[in-house]
Amino acid sequence: MKKLLKRLVIDSASKFLYIALYNDLECLGKYYAEGNNDHSVKLMSEIERIFVSNNIKVKDLDEIIIGIGPGSYTGLRIGVVVAKMFAWNNKIPVRTVSSLAMFASSSSFNGLILSEIDARRGNSFLGLYRKTGKTLVLEDEEKLSNLENYKESIKESFEVVSKGEPNIEVLLNSDILTQVKDIHGLNPNYLRITEAERNLS
Amino acid sequence: MIILSVESSCDETSVSIIRDGINVLSNIVLSQIDIHKAYGGVVPEIASREHIKGITMVFEKALNIANIKKDEIDLVAVTKGPGLIGSLLIGVNAAKAFAFSNDIDIVGVHHIAGHIYANALTKDLVFPLICLVVSGGHTELILMKEHFDFRKLGETMDDAVGEAYDKVARTVGLGYPGGPLVDELAFTGEPNYKMPDISLGKTYNFSFSGIKSHVINLVHNIKQRNEEINIPDLCASFQETVSEVLVTKSIRAIEEYDAKMFMIAGGVAANKGLRKKIDERINNVEVIVPEFKYCTDNAAMIGVAGYYQYLKTKKTDNMRLNGSSRIDLV
Ligand SMILES: [Zn+2]
Repeated sequence: MKKLLKRLVIDSASKFLYIALYNDLECLGKYYAEGNNDHSVKLMSEIERIFVSNNIKVKDLDEIIIGIGPGSYTGLRIGVVVAKMFAWNNKIPVRTVSSLAMFASSSSFNGLILSEIDARRGNSFLGLYRKTGKTLVLEDEEKLSNLENYKESIKESFEVVSKGEPNIEVLLNSDILTQVKDIHGLNPNYLRITEAERNLS
Repeated sequence: MIILSVESSCDETSVSIIRDGINVLSNIVLSQIDIHKAYGGVVPEIASREHIKGITMVFEKALNIANIKKDEIDLVAVTKGPGLIGSLLIGVNAAKAFAFSNDIDIVGVHHIAGHIYANALTKDLVFPLICLVVSGGHTELILMKEHFDFRKLGETMDDAVGEAYDKVARTVGLGYPGGPLVDELAFTGEPNYKMPDISLGKTYNFSFSGIKSHVINLVHNIKQRNEEINIPDLCASFQETVSEVLVTKSIRAIEEYDAKMFMIAGGVAANKGLRKKIDERINNVEVIVPEFKYCTDNAAMIGVAGYYQYLKTKKTDNMRLNGSSRIDLV
């Protein structure tokens, strides 16, 4: 019999926090809620709750899937640092995925999906995906832009998604996951340099 | 008892492993100082990004150098604040993830308690004691009657002493971080410039914004007159006035509370001018100063503080432990 894979999926790139423990496609426990600047309190305490209720330890994980942004929200780093520590501590394989793709996967819409994470000051992190059945394909490079301006550039009908629980089946079925080869090198995707660096150059 | 400790409150990513609060098995400090130099100060967002880059590597090095196994660790201690929130959250969450993965208890430790306890690596503490905490963010006189019992006698009403040093350094065009450069130049000059009275009378509180403004105005006026500033003399004058007020108030606290020991803590504890004045003026009690390597931010000091905090309170934190940019020691 094929061994079932235990996967921990985390995304903390936006104000929504998503944590789920899967046994293949079966969800053993999850947490999904809009946070109030408290990902740092919720992430580890909810992981503990889910793991304890399933009698699972970090070392039992077969894989971690981590949303790595884009984002600028401090919360983004909290998910990534926990995934990084778990993976390093127990030599667990990690695959990264765009947090925008995670949102896009949550939609039941078939066609173009514009995934959005607020980046403040009138800007958003944007990813244009095409969903066909259970497959997601990135249509245009992810960018930091004004949502309304970007919408005007899209010539087809589309759906805007800025929250939602990822669909693990869609994520696993699409060519959007990237294997982390060196765990020390796992970092969030900020998509832009800091203001200080911009001002310096 | 073996403690693994984590410190990331500003621009140093540090992990240490320490036995029984005294035996430092490893103390890895990844400093970002060269990165922030270009900006003339610590840029919080860059600091956070650097912390997450280096964090697992620093853990790995600390474990390798200490040459212990994870299951030998009894407790994880981590700085919970005060500090830069984005930076703190990397250390706190890394420490929680490590503790959870390895089934180890965790305690959050106050950053200043860490600076104070860096002294316990030099010598056993004897109570009551007076500790002068001086850093870029703090200037406080603390009374301790026993382990992990802090009473704040006074603090700065405005700028921290380290802040004032850095501002003076910037005003006369020295680099970043400027405090140590002012200290160095002070030794080559004479305190010939008149400085304002910053004693604030009989209180244990401090104020450094007045002398800071005075230096800025003085430099401005000298430049207006097209005269040369004697930078070593200016540094010497500033350093003399500041260290004098720090030491005078410390002596008064030592006498009032019959202290058996006096110590200094924090980044400015590395200041040679301050150390010299303490040496000259404080002779009737035992004086300890932290080793230079434990003056700046490091995880070893958090491990020592965590050790005494746990011995005293027997309390541990849970997975809801959070970082906090502002949090009082007492
Ligand atoms: Zn410090």
